[in-house]
Amino acid sequence: MKPIWTIAKLSLLENSRKQIFHVLCLMTFAVIAGSTLLSIFTEGVKIKILKDLCLSCILFAGAMLSIGLGSTAIPNDVENRTIYPILARPIARWQYILGKFLGTVLTVAIGIAALSAVFGVLIYCYQGRFDTFLPVAAAFAILEAAVIAAVATTLATFTTAAVAAMISFMVYLLGTVKIGYLAKLLERTPNPIAKLGSQAVYHMLPNLECFNLKAALVHSDSVPGVYLALVTFYGLCYAAFAVGAAALIFKRKEI
Amino acid sequence: MSDNQTLEMPLTSPIRTEDLTKVYRLPRGRVKKALNSLNIDVPDAAIFGFLGPNGAGKTTTIKILLDFLRPTSGRAILFGKPTDDYKVRNLIGYLPEQPYFHPFLKPLELLSAHAALAGMDPTQAESAAMAALEKVGMVEYAQIPIRKLSKGLTQLIGIAQALVGHPRLLILDEPTSGLDPIGRRRIRDLLVQLRNEGCTIFLSSHLLSEVENLCDVVAVIKNGSVVTCGTPDQIRSANTYLKVYTGPITSEDRNRLQFLSLHIDQQAGHTIFKTELKNAYELFRAMEQLNLQIARVETERESLEEAFLRLAA
Repeated sequence: MKPIWTIAKLSLLENSRKQIFHVLCLMTFAVIAGSTLLSIFTEGVKIKILKDLCLSCILFAGAMLSIGLGSTAIPNDVENRTIYPILARPIARWQYILGKFLGTVLTVAIGIAALSAVFGVLIYCYQGRFDTFLPVAAAFAILEAAVIAAVATTLATFTTAAVAAMISFMVYLLGTVKIGYLAKLLERTPNPIAKLGSQAVYHMLPNLECFNLKAALVHSDSVPGVYLALVTFYGLCYAAFAVGAAALIFKRKEI
Repeated sequence: MSDNQTLEMPLTSPIRTEDLTKVYRLPRGRVKKALNSLNIDVPDAAIFGFLGPNGAGKTTTIKILLDFLRPTSGRAILFGKPTDDYKVRNLIGYLPEQPYFHPFLKPLELLSAHAALAGMDPTQAESAAMAALEKVGMVEYAQIPIRKLSKGLTQLIGIAQALVGHPRLLILDEPTSGLDPIGRRRIRDLLVQLRNEGCTIFLSSHLLSEVENLCDVVAVIKNGSVVTCGTPDQIRSANTYLKVYTGPITSEDRNRLQFLSLHIDQQAGHTIFKTELKNAYELFRAMEQLNLQIARVETERESLEEAFLRLAA
């Protein structure tokens, strides 16, 4: 674990020096500024829209950070040649991959936690009490970000950073509409080969919608514990599978 | 103590390659043979100079030794273990050519991280980092971010990084690049000291005078194969040169002497004739016929640089 943690720490320090926090600040200001326009709505609607806005912002920021950091972490190390002294140490390639992935997830988690804290205070100002479900929703946003980061990390082991970012973004878009649009598309495909191909893509894509607890947050609905446990299990398994694939690909890669 | 640190002390060669071949596949179906049945055997506790012109395969060899690249055929063995056994790298320190480190880190943080990667716990790691910085005379820069250090100081940090964890084998790619004469001297002395303490040093360098003074064994490679390997004395061959100093000569006389494959040079009012010792008789006879006044005669042993040019050019 020691080498993995050391690489994750180095990755976290490196990521924190990138301009990602500028993006987060920008998004925070956008939401705060947007919230001032809510006065035209009635009290109940206003809070619902605010919560929707906050969680959408958290989910989007988490996804973008995961794509940005996950797809550049390994290619940047190779390009800057910082990877060589590290891999010359007695560490396995999978430890390096896992360390880089954890570094990315930690950075995104810190970013999401910071956003959630700011938005928590904002909701408190409007609602007059803290929304205890916001931390739960934020935790699942982190899990979603971890899944996206795992996909981006895997892609970055065999493509360039730009291609990895582009494909990761497509996976994010398809993953968020998977249950609805893709399932309908699958039903309507007449060609059996195309149907088989679509099914393969459908099952390989992460179902990112399941991490989105916006409806529960907005309408103050309760979410069954079993559902949360299953989603957590799904997210962890998907991320583990993707990182495992990344480790396998990277093990054979020449650098 | 971690698994990595409990590796037994090696009794086998630190580095051995057996018919090591590496072929790069290039676009449009082209191939480039970077290594062609390379065989080297680096003796224990020696400074091994690895020389070759650009593109000869030095970096490829180093990358295969560290498992960054995989050989197309043949194999490389470190301390009796295959290069893909990552635990063997606990015995190795590596300095890449023109090292680049995370610029925001301070040298102490960087070296502590490398010590942690070598399996040390945080307290051990920090003292190991300080010890390595002390060896290269960089203690005063321990807390200054790397981005603020000059190229030479970054190179010294790179060397300190390679020294972390008391490696039994140091693989150094151009270690004195960018260093001033004081820094070079310090590193030369350090490498000799490490060799005397039992460390094996695999040194790839273009500074032939440095290799000549420092290395116990030298291998010259060309087109991915070893051209020659031996002590610098063995490599320089038995070729001894004769240098004859005369006054200025005419271009006609110069042309008449060309048949001896002479190297003729003008220096401080003298004309210097340089040829192999075996040509001495013919040279002196030709000079007598041309009535040239000999001012001084010297013999000179072939330098490693001349041997390198003869072997690798």
